[in-house]
Amino acid sequence: MEGVFDFAPAIAVFPLVAFVIALAFGKHLPKKGAIPGILATGGSLLLSALMLVAVSSGEVYHETLYEWAAGDATSATGVEGIAFTFGILIDPLAALMLVIVSLVAFLVHVFSLGYMNAEGETGLPRYYAGLGLFTFSMLAFVYADNLLMAFMFFELVGLCSFLLIGFWFRTKSAPSAAKKAFLVTRFGDYFFLIGVVAIAATFGTLQFAGDESFVAAAQTAIDDGGTLFGFDAQTWVTITGLLVLGGVLGKSAQFPLHTWLPDAMEGPTTVSALIHAATMVAAGVYLVARMFGYYALSPTTLAIIAFVGGFTALFAATMGVVKDDIKQVLAYSTISQYGYMMLGLGVGGYVAGVFHLMNHAFFKALLFLGAGSVIVLMHHEQDMWKMGGLKDKAPVTYYTFLAGALALAGIIPFSGFWSKDEILYDAFIVGLEEPVIMAAYAMGLAAVFFTGFYTFRMVFLTFHGEPRSEAAEDPHPVGWSIKAPLIVLGVLAVVAGAANLAPVYKLTGLELTFLESWLDGEYGAIEGLTYGAYGELLAYETGVVGTEQLTVMIAAGLSLLLAFSGAGVAWKLYNVPEPVVYRDRLGRVGDVIEANYYQDEYQVWLAEGVTLPLARAADRFDQTAIDGAVDGVSTASLFGSDRLKRIQTGIVTNYAALLVTGFIVLLLVLGYAGGWFL
Amino acid sequence: MNDWIAIGALALVGLLIPLGMMAVSYLLRPSVPETSKRATYESGEVPTGGTRIRFNIQYYMVALLFLVFDIETVLLFPWAVVYLDAVESDAVSLFEILAPMVAFVVILLIGLAWAWRNGAVEWAQTTRQVDAEGNRS
Amino acid sequence: MAVVELPEWAALAPVLILAGTALALFVFDSINPRSTNRTVLAGTAAIGSLVALGVAVWFTVAGVGASGLEGFGAIELFDGQLVVDQMALYFMIIVAVVTALVSVASYDYMEGHTYQAEYYSLVMLAATGMATMAAANSLVTILIALELASLPSYALVAILKDNRGSIEAGLKYFLIGALSSAIFVYGISLVYGATGYLQLDAIATQLETGAADGEFAYGGLLGLGILMLIGGFAFKTASVPFHFWAPEAYEGAPAPIAAFLSSASKAAGFVIAFRVFTTAFPLDATSALIGVDWTLAFVILAIVTMTVGNFAAATQQNVKRMLAYSSIGHAGYALIGLAGLGAGSELVMGAAMMHLLVYGFMNTGAFLFVALAEHWGVGRTFEDYNGLGQRAPVACFALVIFMFSLAGIPPLGGFWSKYFLFTGAIEAGLLVVAAALIVNSALSLYYYSRLVKAVWFEEPPAARDSLGQPTGLYAAIVFAAVMTVVLLPGFGPVVETALDAAAAMIA
Repeated sequence: MEGVFDFAPAIAVFPLVAFVIALAFGKHLPKKGAIPGILATGGSLLLSALMLVAVSSGEVYHETLYEWAAGDATSATGVEGIAFTFGILIDPLAALMLVIVSLVAFLVHVFSLGYMNAEGETGLPRYYAGLGLFTFSMLAFVYADNLLMAFMFFELVGLCSFLLIGFWFRTKSAPSAAKKAFLVTRFGDYFFLIGVVAIAATFGTLQFAGDESFVAAAQTAIDDGGTLFGFDAQTWVTITGLLVLGGVLGKSAQFPLHTWLPDAMEGPTTVSALIHAATMVAAGVYLVARMFGYYALSPTTLAIIAFVGGFTALFAATMGVVKDDIKQVLAYSTISQYGYMMLGLGVGGYVAGVFHLMNHAFFKALLFLGAGSVIVLMHHEQDMWKMGGLKDKAPVTYYTFLAGALALAGIIPFSGFWSKDEILYDAFIVGLEEPVIMAAYAMGLAAVFFTGFYTFRMVFLTFHGEPRSEAAEDPHPVGWSIKAPLIVLGVLAVVAGAANLAPVYKLTGLELTFLESWLDGEYGAIEGLTYGAYGELLAYETGVVGTEQLTVMIAAGLSLLLAFSGAGVAWKLYNVPEPVVYRDRLGRVGDVIEANYYQDEYQVWLAEGVTLPLARAADRFDQTAIDGAVDGVSTASLFGSDRLKRIQTGIVTNYAALLVTGFIVLLLVLGYAGGWFL
Repeated sequence: MNDWIAIGALALVGLLIPLGMMAVSYLLRPSVPETSKRATYESGEVPTGGTRIRFNIQYYMVALLFLVFDIETVLLFPWAVVYLDAVESDAVSLFEILAPMVAFVVILLIGLAWAWRNGAVEWAQTTRQVDAEGNRS
Repeated sequence: MAVVELPEWAALAPVLILAGTALALFVFDSINPRSTNRTVLAGTAAIGSLVALGVAVWFTVAGVGASGLEGFGAIELFDGQLVVDQMALYFMIIVAVVTALVSVASYDYMEGHTYQAEYYSLVMLAATGMATMAAANSLVTILIALELASLPSYALVAILKDNRGSIEAGLKYFLIGALSSAIFVYGISLVYGATGYLQLDAIATQLETGAADGEFAYGGLLGLGILMLIGGFAFKTASVPFHFWAPEAYEGAPAPIAAFLSSASKAAGFVIAFRVFTTAFPLDATSALIGVDWTLAFVILAIVTMTVGNFAAATQQNVKRMLAYSSIGHAGYALIGLAGLGAGSELVMGAAMMHLLVYGFMNTGAFLFVALAEHWGVGRTFEDYNGLGQRAPVACFALVIFMFSLAGIPPLGGFWSKYFLFTGAIEAGLLVVAAALIVNSALSLYYYSRLVKAVWFEEPPAARDSLGQPTGLYAAIVFAAVMTVVLLPGFGPVVETALDAAAAMIA
């Protein structure tokens, strides 16, 4: 496989080319830019797969391609000079993610043929250009080899989401949702940017990997026990880690910056699939995984990540329960599932977190594309109460959607079960020693019940029972370009779990933990970026209940039980010919949940009640004190100017007199200073 | 003892002497006021007209030209005195001794030619003459 | 090394060419006294100054006056009465460029004027004087060169014989000039009395000997003499308190002459100041003798000059007068070059030299725009300039460049020279001067942008005839604008030359 990495830049460049082509010539192309997009993402997928094979044969790639700025500032740890570069890092994690991203992007492109082209949308070149740029940004972000490059493409991803969410910019809600997504994630990114600067200033490098990486530098600094910027090294690492985490919380829609994501459903469903499964939202969690070594150095940060993750998982799941719009339900499920990933990473379950990221990419893309298919079937109706009975009329959509739902709910043996269970297991064993993690675990566990419930509520309302509207009785047919991606993803949702059957290994000793070995560098990895290496950095202790097998049984059993009971309640309530609304029985609680816990309201209040008065005060200060001073200066200057002008009387004798006077004054000053008169 | 004190004393004395003389004569003289004493030129011509009359520009022109050639003479004279010695000595070549003065004279000649051509040495015309010339052409 | 070995006096070629052009014009006028053949006259003047410029640039590139292996070393002529070194050539370049621009621009401006040949020959004579000032190395040659530059200038200011303003300005200029010259000559005589020499190097040697053995008795006399010399330079550079002639002379004079005086004449004033104070009065020795650091005088003059110039310019209604005051302000900036010499760094003086070169383009250009406006006959105040941008976009765009460059907006030439001056002042420890520079630049932006606003954003008056596009003026303005933009950022050699020349003077 020698030399295959030379093609690595092409992975990202292909979609960029597609972007340019779609933008420039999209109007004149037969499918308005879809073909170049499909070809480009297909090419990226092919190359990514090649990279995966290359990595599995024991090779890794870490190259700096371009240095665009270099300075000679000395960092806090005494590193001379700093260089800002573009480089590519392809290790097992990046290779895996490249495949996921390019696969999902490819399928989304194909799906768009049926979802966008067939539906006669206008502005398609813009749409495909956006998709291309989005894919390009995400791919480049994935194999970025340093934090600054990652930040730049992270921002670009945010920009693309803004463009695509606001695709239907003539409606009132879409531009507003796009702005909200952009602003909320930007808010997080401010912290990220400060974090990048702080890390660069502290360690003089922004590399992810190698001896020159900031991770290695941070470890050295902590071992040396020095102080950085007045903090002790460990604290400083925590602070910078938390700053970077700000960006993660924004992009991955974690509490409290999750509010943009449900609104982002205003974009085309295909875009939602791309955002939720493989790009924007995944970027946050991927960043944590990418620099996991850095977070592993700081137990505090990890605990915060775990707790925020657990809380978000539960918090979002409860909100998903009362939603009527099929896409809204999926939106909250996304937030919830990314909460799980954060929980997994936060408790040191690096493999579990990445595993869930992968599985989620597949089943969430599947669910969104399935939802898109349903929307096509229903003539663009999204309210689940107007659906029903689609099971027999659209079997492909139904069965693939069901596979995705089972995976999402975590029902054995679908993929979601294996990864979610592994996360919960990792959280459980750490939680036995650490009360904070136990609380996070408990929230994650409770979320399983709600997940099962809302998932199947959605399935039953959409597909089962009697049709509740004319559209549901006579659905619009869907074509192969919709079905084919569904089938591919459906299969993956079923089998992807086989990548890491950790409970099976723990119970029977069968070595079926392929992903763990993969991430642990058994096939090849960059030193220090392996599961094993991270494990050594972690400060967590783990406990067991009885034996390890018993612990596994308890953890898996508990989550399965809850998932089944959630699904069962949904079955009982909604798998009837004529389901009724039970919302009213929730009373006040229902109101609170319906209003999304007033998260939007309090953020709006923050903006209007706190920021706006502050801004007004600053403005007033600017208007009066600063402008006043400036105006005063200019008034004084003009006044002085007016006086000074009058010296010039126009009478030449006055000039002569003034000239001589000035000369004599100068003479007196200098003569006095020089002592000429003594 | 500072030098400046002496200078100051000199200035003071210089002021005091004329003032003192004027004061003494003021005290000693008899006072006989008479109108003819107030004339501009006592016991002389009675002036007519104002002092601000315009002199013809030609006066200045001639004066300037005179001045220029006066200076030329001042420069030529010492040059002529040392010229033979300079020619005989080996220190300076003929070119070096001759060229600067030739250049100087040439520049002056150009100036003179220009002045001549532009009417600097033409005698001033009276208004009548100007009119007559205007009628002729 | 040069292919042809030229005689030593050939180093003065730029000056000789200028003088020759002046004489040629006189000869022409002697043959055809009534001729108003503008093409021949302006062409002769422009070609003469361009040839002088070319020779000066050639000498600079060839290394005349430069030290080191490539250079020929400073060439001393007539027993050190004149010297041709890098600085002399540098300022000859400034003078020649401005003269060329003014000659080309005058072609249109002086249209219909009776005394064409006299005008151009006076310009060339003044330029000869200024170029000689650049090379003068003795107080007496300095005086002669200075008078050679001044006397034609008086006549030039007053050359619009039917214009009361021009005559009045010429007379005022002459009277103040006479007073200043008197002071200057008095200063020369005092310095001569104190040291016994007129040649600058000899004065320096005398002062150093005197400071070393402590037998120098005329400290006060020397100090007074130096101060009077400063007065003479201040007159020539239009620095406070010898600046009173400037606003009126510039306002009354034909606009190209105002450009000529405010750029070339000012630069020439600075070159003798630079040369006298770096060569004749070595700082340490002189300070020991007169008991005070003469840079102090320049610190005071620099601050007062830039403040007076900029503040007085701020509320002017007349564009030409505003430019006149701004020219005084810029003299203050250039004075920093002398004020900062105390630190012994060539940067600050080099910066002043760069500023004068850029100033030669941007200020000449600005005055030539005024010349253009006068040629159009639109009026003199800011209001009269309203809306010119719609009619003459090219010239007005050039005006924007001049204004912003004068104000020191990056990336124009004026920014870089001011920036160097600023860093030079900081390096020399003159924080007050640096602060004054910043404050005054900020203020200057106000009145410069007023003009830009008038030209581009204000509504033009209802009735305005269509505006012509005089070739000569346009060519000069556009050329000046281009040079203002590219000069410092584009030409590393300019910066190097200025710094080398400054270093050679200080060493």
